Amino acid sequence: MKPAAFEYVRPGSLNEALQALSRHAGNAKILAGGQSLVPMMNLRMVHPAVIIDINRVPGLDGIRTDGNALVVGALARHSTLRESPIVATHCPLMSEAYRYVAHKPIRNRGTLGGNISHADPASEMPAVLVATDATIVVKSARGERTIAAANFFIGLMQTALQTGEMVTEIRIPIAPANQGWAFEEAANRKGDFAMAAIGATLTLTGGVCSQAAVAVAGMSDRATRLSALEALLERKPLDDDLILRAAVLAKNSVNPDSSYHADVDFKRDLAEALTERALKNARARCK
Amino acid sequence: MNSPHIPKHIPSEGYIPQSRQREKPRKDYKWIGKNMKRVEDPRLLTGQAGYIDDIKLPNMAYAAVLRSDRAHARIRKIDVSKAKALPGVLLVMTGEDAKKVTGPTAQFASPPVVQYCIAVDRVRHVGEAVAAVVAENRYIAEDACELIDVEYEDLPVVVDPEQAMHSTGDAVLHPDRGPTNLAYRKTFSFGPVDDDFARADRVVERRLRWARSGAQPLETVGAVAEYHSGTGKFTVYGNSSFVNYVGWLVGASLGVPAHKFNLIPVTTGGSFGSKLFTHKVLTLTATLARACGRPVKYIEDRLDNTMSCDNHGSDRVYYCKLALKNDGTILSLKFRVIDDYGAYLQFGYGTHGNSLCQIVGPYRINSVEMELVAVLTNKCQQGAYRGFGSEVTNWMVERMVDAAADELKMDPFEIRRKNFIQPDQFPYVIPTGNLYDSGNYPAVMDEALRIADIKKWKDIQAKGRAEGRCIGIGVATCQERSVFSATEFWSLNPLDTPGFQLTSSPESTQIRIDPTGNIQVTLGSPFWGNSPETIATQIVAEQFQCDPGNVNIVYAGTDSAFNSTGPGGSRFTVMIAGAIVGASVKLKEKIRRIAGQMLESSPGDLEFRDGKIGVKGVPGMEKTIGEVALFAHYFRLGLPDGDEYSSGLDASYVYDHPLTTMPAADRSHLGIFYPIMGHMCHMALVEVDPRTGKVKILDYVAVHDAGTVVNPMTLAGHIRGGTAQGIGSALYEHFYYDENGQLLTASFADYLIPTLDEMPAQIRVGHVETPSPFTEYGIKGGGEGGRMGAPPALTRAVEDALSRYGVRVDELPLTPRRVRSLVRATEQRQGRAPAV
Amino acid sequence: MSTVKVNVRVNGTSYAREIEPRMLLCDFLREELELKGTHIGCEHGVCGVCTVLVDGESTRACLLFAVQADGAEVRTVESLAKDGKLSPLQQAFWESHGLQCGFCTPAMLMVATELLEHDPDPSLEDIREAVSSNLCRCTGYFNIVDAVRTAVAMIKEGKQ
Repeated sequence: MKPAAFEYVRPGSLNEALQALSRHAGNAKILAGGQSLVPMMNLRMVHPAVIIDINRVPGLDGIRTDGNALVVGALARHSTLRESPIVATHCPLMSEAYRYVAHKPIRNRGTLGGNISHADPASEMPAVLVATDATIVVKSARGERTIAAANFFIGLMQTALQTGEMVTEIRIPIAPANQGWAFEEAANRKGDFAMAAIGATLTLTGGVCSQAAVAVAGMSDRATRLSALEALLERKPLDDDLILRAAVLAKNSVNPDSSYHADVDFKRDLAEALTERALKNARARCK
Repeated sequence: MNSPHIPKHIPSEGYIPQSRQREKPRKDYKWIGKNMKRVEDPRLLTGQAGYIDDIKLPNMAYAAVLRSDRAHARIRKIDVSKAKALPGVLLVMTGEDAKKVTGPTAQFASPPVVQYCIAVDRVRHVGEAVAAVVAENRYIAEDACELIDVEYEDLPVVVDPEQAMHSTGDAVLHPDRGPTNLAYRKTFSFGPVDDDFARADRVVERRLRWARSGAQPLETVGAVAEYHSGTGKFTVYGNSSFVNYVGWLVGASLGVPAHKFNLIPVTTGGSFGSKLFTHKVLTLTATLARACGRPVKYIEDRLDNTMSCDNHGSDRVYYCKLALKNDGTILSLKFRVIDDYGAYLQFGYGTHGNSLCQIVGPYRINSVEMELVAVLTNKCQQGAYRGFGSEVTNWMVERMVDAAADELKMDPFEIRRKNFIQPDQFPYVIPTGNLYDSGNYPAVMDEALRIADIKKWKDIQAKGRAEGRCIGIGVATCQERSVFSATEFWSLNPLDTPGFQLTSSPESTQIRIDPTGNIQVTLGSPFWGNSPETIATQIVAEQFQCDPGNVNIVYAGTDSAFNSTGPGGSRFTVMIAGAIVGASVKLKEKIRRIAGQMLESSPGDLEFRDGKIGVKGVPGMEKTIGEVALFAHYFRLGLPDGDEYSSGLDASYVYDHPLTTMPAADRSHLGIFYPIMGHMCHMALVEVDPRTGKVKILDYVAVHDAGTVVNPMTLAGHIRGGTAQGIGSALYEHFYYDENGQLLTASFADYLIPTLDEMPAQIRVGHVETPSPFTEYGIKGGGEGGRMGAPPALTRAVEDALSRYGVRVDELPLTPRRVRSLVRATEQRQGRAPAV
Repeated sequence: MSTVKVNVRVNGTSYAREIEPRMLLCDFLREELELKGTHIGCEHGVCGVCTVLVDGESTRACLLFAVQADGAEVRTVESLAKDGKLSPLQQAFWESHGLQCGFCTPAMLMVATELLEHDPDPSLEDIREAVSSNLCRCTGYFNIVDAVRTAVAMIKEGKQ
């Protein structure tokens, strides 16, 4: 399974990359980690005429804090993020989710920016960004804009990226010190894409839930928040009974697609089970 | 030998031939039984193995294959003009083009099911070859494939085997063979089945479904072919496991005599049966080389292989009945099996002939009846996968025994023990006529229980259950037959079209000692991950009492006209041992004779010791094998006249199957056809998450009896590796076709081969040895290993884990989806709240 | 068919080539450089038999275009044995029966090499994490884990 021929462009700066993107509008795909793109090219599911290899563009792989935000460059590799103490401190949900992501050789190359631009509905990181209300910084030759994560993932393998745009940075609100988190996933084998995954953050004030964010992946065409569930939890004492009700609500509010590995009934059951476990684990981590 | 057990319906007079065993099992071997490091490994460890894709010939071109994207269609038109015009393309060939120069590929069904290396007129499954391209490199060849336009006329698709029984009209895949997809339907009855059911206290019935999985070795099938027009000869490198048959059969498709097709075996990266006979790839590659005028390499990529490897595993529906007495005695087994063979039938019904050799398992079941229904559907055809159908009947029989245990409220270990063939009943002929040569089934179970520490397992289960966890224990006691006889391939064929009724399945070797004393051994069966060189070295070293470092193994291609069958059906160790013993005996006799001259001693006074041959009881009065060899090669005139002193040290031996007989003409029995009978007890301790359906294997025990073991380390490798594949078939792997015949699990993202993480922390292996009375050293084959017993052990463990839900498992694989659906069905029935 | 220049060090030797950008690293190694130890099993990144080290990091060679390795240091199984002597890892695999058909073995050796270069005394958990990233169809993985543990011990002993 060999890929079709393409023209290869390797910009040495962000500006060059954006110019190349603009010039080849619509005919080009960005090559970051390649762990999602190259399999599709090898399988000849895609035939990009131009490949823009951004791996040499400097300044895109940083991990730092900036005020209230954890700022991750689009080219930050999964393996770096997984081991990063900065991420572990400021977005523990992401660190936990990384336990489920692929395998080391894939993580060594794969990037966060590439992963979210690919927008596989069963991928873990979109759920993390949607759960944490991250914003995605996007640049083109025309300028820059930020897109809320909830608006970034718009459909099956579809993002709000317009022709000529690429992700440069992901900004994640720093997790409050008292916030609990949990990521629960059901996959066929360790490292596989999720049949279903729940990423949750919770804040308790005197046993009462003052903040809840619950995102689901693998269920339909993209990662989404379960807002009805969040509304159920907020401002209520977070006891086991409430968690069970929330889990049932998760089961009833998702709209799963069916696949060989997981039919609709199974996905609903997973939504319920994983939500319950995620909420209990997140609650246990609340301070 | 004990007095043999022979069923009443089989004429017992002279039924069991005499044993031809020469080397009786002993306790004091120097090399046999040792964990010798493998001879094969250095080249594998250093990246110098020489797999098929490593072969590069000068001026070589590369092929790619365009495959059908639909399951059943007439090929109306193929436009190759754009493909041909692409720079770098050397030739494009359609099925019609190929058919002009190459006949159907080899197959063994009778009446035949015709197949071509590229589809002609119609495609019968997704992934079937529609055209082939040869180009300067594989990239360009695939570019050209994308430029080929095929016009199809869709035909009805059938993927359900029970529906396929009733296909008519355009849904029939091979109308030339008859207006039906029902390839065969026949009942085979062995022993007094009706009487046994009449006297039963009860009958348990089940419908069971074994899903299609496949060997999927990490290396695919490939070939490099060269055709010399001057001599009209093909030279072909290929990773086929069978070599001897292949040369002349593929040659026949190509229209050339056998000596014009030389197949050279290469190091092969796994087979597990799926590379037994890679006829389509060999025929196609050779055809392309001849047409192209340059050497051609064709290596399947992964999708080529999953969709069209011609070696998917069994795909069966069983309707079974087991006749029981209330005390747990099993009287009789009756079943209908519907086997979905896919679009072709290359091995006939061999996978059922195979399983009849051990169809009663390790039990004293008095009679058996099988109704075989073979259907054709729009799927890749079945071939061989580690067990060749017997792993499936092992699962079926164990399911029925577990069903009997549940029906009678008996302990699953106890019902098995009660029905075991006892150690003093061997040789034991089962109702189908096959013979079990030796065994001690109670001892194997005892050892498994001991290694598992069954009390500890039961404690873990009890504690877990008290906490609300679903923990289960499963046991399976299964046979592992070894050393197939060729009769299994045709004994179930229609009596009026029995096909090629071959009865010979030998293995041979040639042993030559060079002037320096190095022992060169030629094998006719290639390496694919088994350990032929190591095994042969150990046995030769044992025979000659020499250093294994002095043994050198080479492989013969078909130009040598070497007589061998190949590695399959767990036969190789037994058969090569027989061949080596035969050749060694001859060679050692000559060495004694010559050494006797050199030492002025009687040959009868000489013994082999530490790489030397010397006078018994007289240390120092000896010659090295090398000294004798030098003398034998170069000093003819120093020896007496007579042929027995001719120069050189060279012996061949063809070892025939040590114990096989013909089936009865009316097939009331099938003769002795797979008698070297290993046995295993597998035990699994699992935890099931009833909400996510995830199965975790907490502990696993596998005790095997493979008779005398040549290399315990490599045997344990097959036990563990085979168990891993059994775990795959039981829990993860499924070639799943949707109703349009699309293979939804074609890539490795969806066809789920287990990683280390899906394995238990360890598989604890035990050995019991009941040597065979019929083979050299008492060796039995063990290569199919753990796959023969893991699926039923795991199935029962999951069922036991979910016992509080009253779950019955009738279908594999036990994916999370299926497990959850079983629990959900109970929850809905009982209006029960979900567990924690 | 336009070509691009690539300069890459493989197993300590520098190579300058002009190749199509679409040529995968696994094909570059096998066909351009005749290094056959890196194998091809699925070409979509799952099986792992193509795994090599690129700048010390395990990488699927079927998912990297060779041109991307421009300026990088690539190591394959052929770099392990020195002067005809097997490395401790290779020796350990041999003694532990950590291979049967050998097709996944170079890749297993390379992920083990990455592991031991980052941590000469990895936990069993770390070893299992590394081995679980690649498929093996023959062994069930148990002996591969044993082989890596044996190698750790052999290397420690060698240093003493």
